[in-house]
Amino acid sequence: MSDVKVAVLYGFGINCDHETKAVFEMAGASADRIHVNELVNGEKTLADYHIMAVPGGFSFGDHLGSGRLLGNRLRFGIRDMVQDFVKAGKLVIGICNGFQVLVKMGLLPGDEAVSLEQTASLTLNNTGHYEDRWVTLEFDADSPCVWTKGLTRIRVPVRHGEGKFVTTIDANLDQWAENGQLVVRYIDPDTAYPSAGDDPLPFPICPNASMRNIAGVCDPSGRIFGLMPHPEANHSTWLGATWTRELPEHGEGEGMVIFHNAVKFAEENLV
Amino acid sequence: MSDIPVHLVEVTPRELPGMQDTRGESVRSMLSTDHNIQVERIASITGYQVKAQLTGEQLLQSLQDLFCDPIIEHGMVNQSLLDTDGFFDTAPEMAIMIGFKPGVTDNAAQAALDGLCTLFPDQSGTAQVATTMTYLFWGLPEDVDGKAIANMLHNPMIERAALATRDHCAQKIWPQLSYPERPPAAFNAPATIDLEVSDEALMELSETGLLALNLEEMQAIQAHYRDADVQAAREALGLPPAAPTDVELECLAQTWSEHCSHKIFAAKIHHVDKESGEESTLDSLFKTHIMKPTLDMQKENDWLLSIFHDNSGVIEWTEDWSLCIKAETHNSPSALDPFGGAMTGIVGVNRDILGTGLGARPIANMDVFCFGPPDFDGDLPGGLFHPSRVLRGVHAGIRAGGNESGIPTVNGAIVFDDRYIGKPLVYAGTVGIMPRKLADGRESHIKTPQAGDVIYMLGGRVGSDGIHGATFSSLELTEESPSSAVQIGDPITQKKMLDMTLEARDAGLIQVITDNGAGGLSSSVGEMAELTGGAELDLSVVPLKQAGLSPWEILVSESQERMTLGVRAADMAAFEALADLHEVEATVVGTFTDSGAFIVKFGEDNVAHLPMDFMHDGCPQLQLHSEWVPPVHDEIAFPDADAKAMGGLLADVLARPNVASKEWWVRQYDHEVIAQSVIKPFCGVNHDAPGDAAVIAPLQGDTRGAVVSCGIVPRYSDIDAYAMTAAAIDEAVRNAVCVGVDLNKIAGLDNFCWPDPIESAKTPDGRFKLAQLVRSNQALDDVCRAYNLPCISGKDSMKNDAHLDGKKISIPPTLLYTLLGDHLDVRKAVSSDFKDAGDVVYLLGETHQELGASELAFMLCERGEGGIGNAVPQVDTTRNLALYRALTGAMDAGLVRSAHDCSDGGLAAAIAECCFGCDGAGNFDLSGIGEVDDWAALFGESQGRIVVTTTPENAAAFEAAMADHAHLRIGEVGTARTLKFSRDGNTILEANLGKLLDAWKDTLTMGGVA
Repeated sequence: MSDVKVAVLYGFGINCDHETKAVFEMAGASADRIHVNELVNGEKTLADYHIMAVPGGFSFGDHLGSGRLLGNRLRFGIRDMVQDFVKAGKLVIGICNGFQVLVKMGLLPGDEAVSLEQTASLTLNNTGHYEDRWVTLEFDADSPCVWTKGLTRIRVPVRHGEGKFVTTIDANLDQWAENGQLVVRYIDPDTAYPSAGDDPLPFPICPNASMRNIAGVCDPSGRIFGLMPHPEANHSTWLGATWTRELPEHGEGEGMVIFHNAVKFAEENLV
Repeated sequence: MSDIPVHLVEVTPRELPGMQDTRGESVRSMLSTDHNIQVERIASITGYQVKAQLTGEQLLQSLQDLFCDPIIEHGMVNQSLLDTDGFFDTAPEMAIMIGFKPGVTDNAAQAALDGLCTLFPDQSGTAQVATTMTYLFWGLPEDVDGKAIANMLHNPMIERAALATRDHCAQKIWPQLSYPERPPAAFNAPATIDLEVSDEALMELSETGLLALNLEEMQAIQAHYRDADVQAAREALGLPPAAPTDVELECLAQTWSEHCSHKIFAAKIHHVDKESGEESTLDSLFKTHIMKPTLDMQKENDWLLSIFHDNSGVIEWTEDWSLCIKAETHNSPSALDPFGGAMTGIVGVNRDILGTGLGARPIANMDVFCFGPPDFDGDLPGGLFHPSRVLRGVHAGIRAGGNESGIPTVNGAIVFDDRYIGKPLVYAGTVGIMPRKLADGRESHIKTPQAGDVIYMLGGRVGSDGIHGATFSSLELTEESPSSAVQIGDPITQKKMLDMTLEARDAGLIQVITDNGAGGLSSSVGEMAELTGGAELDLSVVPLKQAGLSPWEILVSESQERMTLGVRAADMAAFEALADLHEVEATVVGTFTDSGAFIVKFGEDNVAHLPMDFMHDGCPQLQLHSEWVPPVHDEIAFPDADAKAMGGLLADVLARPNVASKEWWVRQYDHEVIAQSVIKPFCGVNHDAPGDAAVIAPLQGDTRGAVVSCGIVPRYSDIDAYAMTAAAIDEAVRNAVCVGVDLNKIAGLDNFCWPDPIESAKTPDGRFKLAQLVRSNQALDDVCRAYNLPCISGKDSMKNDAHLDGKKISIPPTLLYTLLGDHLDVRKAVSSDFKDAGDVVYLLGETHQELGASELAFMLCERGEGGIGNAVPQVDTTRNLALYRALTGAMDAGLVRSAHDCSDGGLAAAIAECCFGCDGAGNFDLSGIGEVDDWAALFGESQGRIVVTTTPENAAAFEAAMADHAHLRIGEVGTARTLKFSRDGNTILEANLGKLLDAWKDTLTMGGVA
């Protein structure tokens, strides 16, 4: 095991904390589940960790908009701690509800000053309801994102009702695209790599009608990454949607590269 | 409090390119699908009524930082969006505002209040919030009835609606609802109930008080208070010596309710079998046919750790972990409020898992529903919701309860029959996992309470919601059914409590734990007090949602999201620190004792004294009569049909709601959280073919698994409840076999839902219904013993009748059998979809002329010709088990590429589903199927049959493995678009695969959300 330490946040309805801890451990890090209140009340500090993960779940039941209330707990409860953590060059990932938290609190798509101003949002899927289905993702090879290095396409499940990535200003999207921040998009698996594009893909290839088929974004530094789909849910080959058809050599699943990348980056740069 | 102002916050989605008002769109789609009402546009406004002392600046900040998303929403405070230019181009033609009634759980409001206190911590304890939802309509049909639409959008039992008609809207008069102020409860000091009255008066007391006790039971209570020793003990405690307090009477009614004490299963039954001429006396169906077989099997199976006595059954799984499982029904509440009833059902059974042993973690949910058909167009008795609305509401409640709790829904079923219109059945089940041993060496499936342990109530507060749930569910549904029996769950409060409780368990802080479900504190404390021999409870310290509740109400309220625990006095500080961290309310409410009595106080005053033995053993045994006369049905009338017409009939069968794809509904459940789902609800190249059973691998990275499956076939009860039960169990086992279960470790749950089987003026056919129950239990005994399948937990719900508009509707006797099994290596799990072209297809098992009560028989009968027949499928357990063992052996040897069970709709439906999985069909030759007609060959539902494929290379080895068992090679997996079945060279069925797929998928794909 490496010396990389991961803080996996939980509490208030986060519910993917166990498997998120597990995938970082499978990738060689040591990971602790940290209740948000342990940071707020000062019992624990993010300064002791190299990576912060905000897992999926239903924090506060998605009421008042998914991720908003937990985002506020972080934005108002541990604002300085989060800003210090990010400015120290450390890594952050938000998955599903965790991504919603990071977007609503302004960490993503974010800015160099870490100003915590919200510039995008995640809203109700066009279908109007929650769905659990497998999708194919394509990654931007030119993105600065440290989490997605070397990835082309992976298959993972989406499990959300509010995953439609939107912003009000087109220029924002153009800027994020130019920065390589639109790092992962939904893609038709029957196309050749690379073919991610801005034209809206039909349901269910793009399961939520996200603008430009966006599944996840990173901040300008590439160290903060968030996505709606669940890479941690495909940590082993036997969790795939169609693995019984494919007779794979059993081992790590397609989602694990993301966690290996982060642990490797932290080992080389943060420990 | 009343001088605190109410501020109105309104929020609506912004209209921007690529964005839509999704909530409004969903309602538009629902009105179109369910009611054929076409509306051009519907917009939504979310309202927050914020009752708090806030400055203008604070209100503005709360709008920006809390209520309104700056990117996607517009919001206003204390100013109507509809009266403000720039938000809506034109005034709507109609507007409907929906809000909760006072006292109903409003989860969004609780979340908003929490968020408000994050911004302004000094608001904690004084501020209050309520929410509303307003729908605005444009482009309405001319003849639209606004009231009718309002009724489609709210449930008057829990919600209020305000309507602004065309005229109102033209005058800019918008709908309004006042703040749902809860009136203070009227506190009543404990009353003494005089039981020295006539029998008629005793029964009136039981009926008007919703006690649901019969005369013998009322007399047993009367007798208790005549006992001189009892009177002396009561006098010493300052209680009325010769009469119960209302607290005692309510407590006994809960404890002795059918719901809590299963009196019918404990009854002495005189059973007459008119078919065989035999007469017998059964002393408790439960002890005879459920407990005894399991205890006998326990002698041979050392992996049964905890059976019958705890909140769920526990089995040893690995050296380090055990699994537990439980299923409940929540039928009556779901009839009155489908959303809230179903949600409290699923979060309630989750608490059963959390309350098992010293606490287990829920890791998988199973949900099975029985409803009236969604396209029902017959007369609906007043007071009932249309089945499509029940389906939407129940589904939404289960979805919210399961998804928000982070527990995957891995398995389930939806069954349809006209007779479930009166009482829908909502079975909610959960699997849990717990470490075999805690760090302190205690085995976690054993509770270890000591006299002197402190009693904590944990989680939610007690309110007037949920009073009389247990006794109400022991009564039939009538127009007078109480709204207080309805509640809405709060999954986030429960999730916080769950996180905290499991940490307390691992820290060794828990001595004993159980949930507060039916009967509330009276039941949770009363049951655990049995373990130490007594308890003392003080109701005056119980935290309340609303001041002024009377002592008996506090004792029996079933308010949700509460656990009751015993903690050593030395551990109180650590326990409370953990509760603080998780923001969970923990209150000391009493002490466990060994005094021999359950003593309840309100402050200094004793309000109840119930000796433990009277409370738990004092209820007199029912004496019942059953009489079995086999019903005789008209034979099935088969139409003339050529191969193409047979193909059309197959499409019709696949489109039947019982057979049709449930994908549109099931996809809305999270079935993969915890990253453990190996065999999922869907499989196949397009992820749309049905899975037979769930396989989960709950230890991350480990390949050891568990299997969860179920079986349910209420149709067969119309011919014989014995056959129904045997088939349900065989289906559960068969489904588990299809994914490769280890047959050496399978355990089951029996969940009975029956119409009232006690003969009375209201139930003249009670003897027959009870005979059905007897036969069902006999089958359970026979089949479970044969399969070495111990029942480790179960439940019964025995009053599933509705009496409305002078009509009585009774459900068909329904057993849900749920199976939990071991899976030694999930990498060897098998799915149902056909894999590669050229793979060899086999039919395993024997096919008999058994079309009675089949899906086809019901379909033909409903078209007006003939009856459902009489030859109901029988189960040959010896033959089936041998075949199942051979098949799982072949799976372990890697010889099997797919396996799918034959059930509803028979072989033709099963093969069609396998073909959907590879998006290709073939020609299947049934020449060797045996001495049956084409109808039975294609649509018969003979039990013990499985469709299996193997690669061409492995075919010989597979045939050798199955040599001693019925296996028929029927063809190869193909890529054709036409599905054909032939016999002796003649095509007997021919159908286009795409058309079959459309038929199968379209029936239950319903737009709009609940």
